[in-house]
Amino acid sequence: MKLQKGVMDWLDSRLGVREIMHANMGGYLLPRNINIWYTLGAVLLAMFGLQFLTGILLLIFYVPDTEKAFTSVTAIMNSIPYGWLIRYLHVVGSNLIIVLLLLHMLSVLFMGSYKRPRELTWLSGFIIFNLGLAFCLTGYLLPWSQLSFWATTVATDAAGAVPVVGDFLVEFLRGGPSVGAPTLGRFFALHVMGLPMLFLGLVGFHLFCVRRIGISSPPFGDGYRPLEPARSFHHDEHPGGVPFHPNYTIKDLSMVFFVLAALVAITFYAPWLFIPPDALEPADPFTTPAHIKPEWYFLWAYQTLKIFPSKLLGLASQGAAMGFLAVLPFLDRSPERRPAKRPVFVTLYLLGILLFVGLSIWGHYS
Amino acid sequence: MSASASPNERRKFLGILLGAIGAIIAGAFAWPLVRFLSPNNKGGAAQQVKIPKQKVAVGGAHFFSYQGRPAVLLEPEPGQYVALSAVCTHLGCIVKWVSDSQEFLCPCHGGRFSPAGQVLGGPPPKPLTTYAVKLDGETILVG
Repeated sequence: MKLQKGVMDWLDSRLGVREIMHANMGGYLLPRNINIWYTLGAVLLAMFGLQFLTGILLLIFYVPDTEKAFTSVTAIMNSIPYGWLIRYLHVVGSNLIIVLLLLHMLSVLFMGSYKRPRELTWLSGFIIFNLGLAFCLTGYLLPWSQLSFWATTVATDAAGAVPVVGDFLVEFLRGGPSVGAPTLGRFFALHVMGLPMLFLGLVGFHLFCVRRIGISSPPFGDGYRPLEPARSFHHDEHPGGVPFHPNYTIKDLSMVFFVLAALVAITFYAPWLFIPPDALEPADPFTTPAHIKPEWYFLWAYQTLKIFPSKLLGLASQGAAMGFLAVLPFLDRSPERRPAKRPVFVTLYLLGILLFVGLSIWGHYS
Repeated sequence: MSASASPNERRKFLGILLGAIGAIIAGAFAWPLVRFLSPNNKGGAAQQVKIPKQKVAVGGAHFFSYQGRPAVLLEPEPGQYVALSAVCTHLGCIVKWVSDSQEFLCPCHGGRFSPAGQVLGGPPPKPLTTYAVKLDGETILVG
């Protein structure tokens, strides 16, 4: 205790750390009616940390070479002590992250927290979501299994629908006319270096926005009234609120542990949910497995491409849906955030979720 | 009923309890991590290495890997074999065989060893490790 105080005094006299800690912990007040959905950001941060850790560990044994990748992954699973655990945590974790990102976005949409002045927070979060999908796509190829190879072939082939430059785009993505060693090289570089650097920068900016603008009040209860956003910069204060630490950090931590428990449960009892049989065979560029399907979070896009008669139309509709979501705060400018007072938005919101789920199930069984 | 504990005592107890649970969970995760990062086996080599006689000439040296570490086999006299670790006892560089002077020279700091592994000069503090050698027909068994 004496040592801890000594270290704190030393740091405090030089950097004023006690002031920083107070401003961001005990003195950082959150709305009294803050709910469990606000913990998803902290849960996601913890999960990202785990992905970085397990990813670095996998890098020790993974060999990014078309001749050796599958064998190295097999060795991780079968020969390296606890290699299976590290890999399953990485695979299951990546899927859970997509679920959590979706839930985080859905809760922000439902509570209208994306609205002015939080447009940049939403936009950076939306880009982080897309980066998450890019992480999954690039990571999917690395084991160089039948599933990896053909899922990447189909995914990169979709870019061919872009008019004029489509063929060039496909070759550029693959580094050649078909998926091969150059594809593995560039996907590996992106997965372990390019995307993480971009990702860290964006997460930093996202957190900066959250802290700088202030936490939004949940739009529920009698006390809530929509406010006209200020014309100039204004930090959203919550006088009389609950301190971030320990009141909210406890909630954050309990949710983190709840999700970690779910991650461990799936890892131990149902890892096959995310590792189908085609993932257990090495890639064979001359044999396409029957009924090759993308991961669950790409099934909606896969089915959209099947529904539309032209691939270009299918791709354009996906682009339009994603583009609409990206710029939503710039289109939806009313200050009203209470779901009960936004019937049109809530109807579209529910229809959107139904469409996503419906298309995904259709894609799975088609 | 005994007197109930004060809030401070309760807090201390809960702190210790949480710390203990945290330590157990951390240990449960740390063990797989340590095992994952630990060497899979000792260099992946067998306890005994077989080398054909023709690999080494009289007055010459044959370098090979023994239990994951560089080793060297000499034939100072016809039919007489010596197996040594090729790792210099000074700072771990690999010694070179100088056939002209029939001695080992460490290229890092000039340590010199005899064909039997004894220190002849330079900074090495102790001789090179010697390995057991057995003859099995046309094969030499080291280890």
